[in-house]
Amino acid sequence: MTAIWSIARTTLNEAIRRRVLLVILLIGILFLVIAPGLEALSPRQEITVLKSLTLGVIQLTSAVIAIVLTVYLIPNEIERRTIYTILSKPVLRWQFLVGKYLGAVLALGLMMALMTGALLLVFMIMQDTRDLATLGEMVRVPFMFFVQMSLLAAVAVFFSTFVSPIVNFFLAGGVYLVGTVFNSLFQVLSENKDINPLVKSAAGLVHAVIPNFQYFNVQNTAINPGQGIQSESLYYLQMTGYALFYIAALLAGAILIFDRREV
Amino acid sequence: MGLAIETRNLVKKYKTRKGSSITVVDNVDLQVEPGEIFGFLGPNGAGKTTTIKILLGIIYQTSGDAFILGKEAGDIAVHRELSYLPEKPYYYEHMTGLEVMQFYASLFGMKDIAKCKSLLERVNLGNDMNRPISQYSKGMQQRVGLAQSLLNDPKLLFLDEPTGGLDPIAHIEIRDLILQFREEGKTVFISSHELSDVERICDRVAIINKGAVVAQGRLEELLVGGRIEVTANNCTTELADSLRDSHNLVSINHGRMIVDIPDSKNPNDLVGAIAKAGGEIVSVIPRRKRLEDFFLEAVSGDNIAKGRHQPSMLEATETEETDS
Repeated sequence: MTAIWSIARTTLNEAIRRRVLLVILLIGILFLVIAPGLEALSPRQEITVLKSLTLGVIQLTSAVIAIVLTVYLIPNEIERRTIYTILSKPVLRWQFLVGKYLGAVLALGLMMALMTGALLLVFMIMQDTRDLATLGEMVRVPFMFFVQMSLLAAVAVFFSTFVSPIVNFFLAGGVYLVGTVFNSLFQVLSENKDINPLVKSAAGLVHAVIPNFQYFNVQNTAINPGQGIQSESLYYLQMTGYALFYIAALLAGAILIFDRREV
Repeated sequence: MGLAIETRNLVKKYKTRKGSSITVVDNVDLQVEPGEIFGFLGPNGAGKTTTIKILLGIIYQTSGDAFILGKEAGDIAVHRELSYLPEKPYYYEHMTGLEVMQFYASLFGMKDIAKCKSLLERVNLGNDMNRPISQYSKGMQQRVGLAQSLLNDPKLLFLDEPTGGLDPIAHIEIRDLILQFREEGKTVFISSHELSDVERICDRVAIINKGAVVAQGRLEELLVGGRIEVTANNCTTELADSLRDSHNLVSINHGRMIVDIPDSKNPNDLVGAIAKAGGEIVSVIPRRKRLEDFFLEAVSGDNIAKGRHQPSMLEATETEETDS
């Protein structure tokens, strides 16, 4: 456990010093800060637009950070040969992989917490409120984004055990896109009795294998006050469990591949 | 007490994209005794680092057996008793020297900062331990590498090119440290191109070429015999050509010719032939066989070794050379 934690901490410390990640983070925070100034662009309700825009910025920035952070996680260690010194110690490969993943998730969490802090600051100023209940509602959305991005990071770590970073970038991005935008479509196709059985099976397979990232997009409840989720806490708990299941499966797959891989 | 390292018919093959396979390590048999400094030599691409990686369990052999301290290579329990300094080590640059030590110590479950500091002091980094690694010279980084390799007080150290690219002072410091390891009873397995270092500090060596071990044994046994170097001026190219087939012609340049003969031969015939052809003998110097000579003989089939020595079969060869 000490080894996993040490590797995670080192990964975190390295990640928060990576300039490319800091630039992406700064751009994200910059958009959050200037978002109130964009109200003139929309005739709709100012606060609705602002919520939609800022939460969208957090989601997009976090997704880019999650992918950029994790696609190089293992290849960098091999290229720089740091992995040789680490694996020559009493460290098992699964410990190394889990440590790297946890470090990446911690770094992701830290960066998302900074963006959420900026988001809350913007709303405190815009709405002139310090009401914790109101602000708490806003925090739930980034929390679910964090769960979503942790899952995305696991997808990228899985691919990083057998493809190059560039291929991984597009693969992980593709899985995120399909899982966010098209998963519901695949679900509908897989349940439709009137289509070709082959297409139906393929759609069912994609729906079953690719995690449904859409489950974690709960921003509508924050953006539109009229909308809500029944048994909200239970839903969040179930979705966290859903993500943890996929993360565990992806890491198990990654460990199986990485354990046999020549580094 | 058993062997520190033993490999039997160790083979590592890689598949190419075209589907054929390349043999990188070819039936390697190594025996390293406990407490000795063992030199593992070979030209670039000979299979040295691949063999070390197999021994460390970082990659897996295609066939054959590898044992470290009596256990199978890759056994995680053995990793508590060995250490590894890779060629051109890289450390997380945001860390200081002390943080690097603490990181590697934590991988053993150790939190002994005093030990980390004392090891850094031992490699003369006491005053620099709080500076970021990114500010360290190559020699300093190599010394951090050695310090981290001592954290677990290992019985066996793998050092891959430990003095490669270092300035003479750092070079000597690291060489002396390696000698200290032997005095402490540690087994040291060194892969190196620095033949003068290996000759000075190693008890036994193995030479690997194109994946196969072409020589292995104690240095004093391998370096038996020597040569006699005859240098003469005013030599013609005709004379040089007439000697080329029967002797080892090292060079002929502006009438100055250098010829080597084994020390088992009488140089008088050669000296007489040169004098008869009008050559002027400058020197006849017996030279002890050096590891460099032996190494060049051992890998003489390879391009880099052509020139100084004629190919010869080595009696010390224990494995068959194969095409790779």
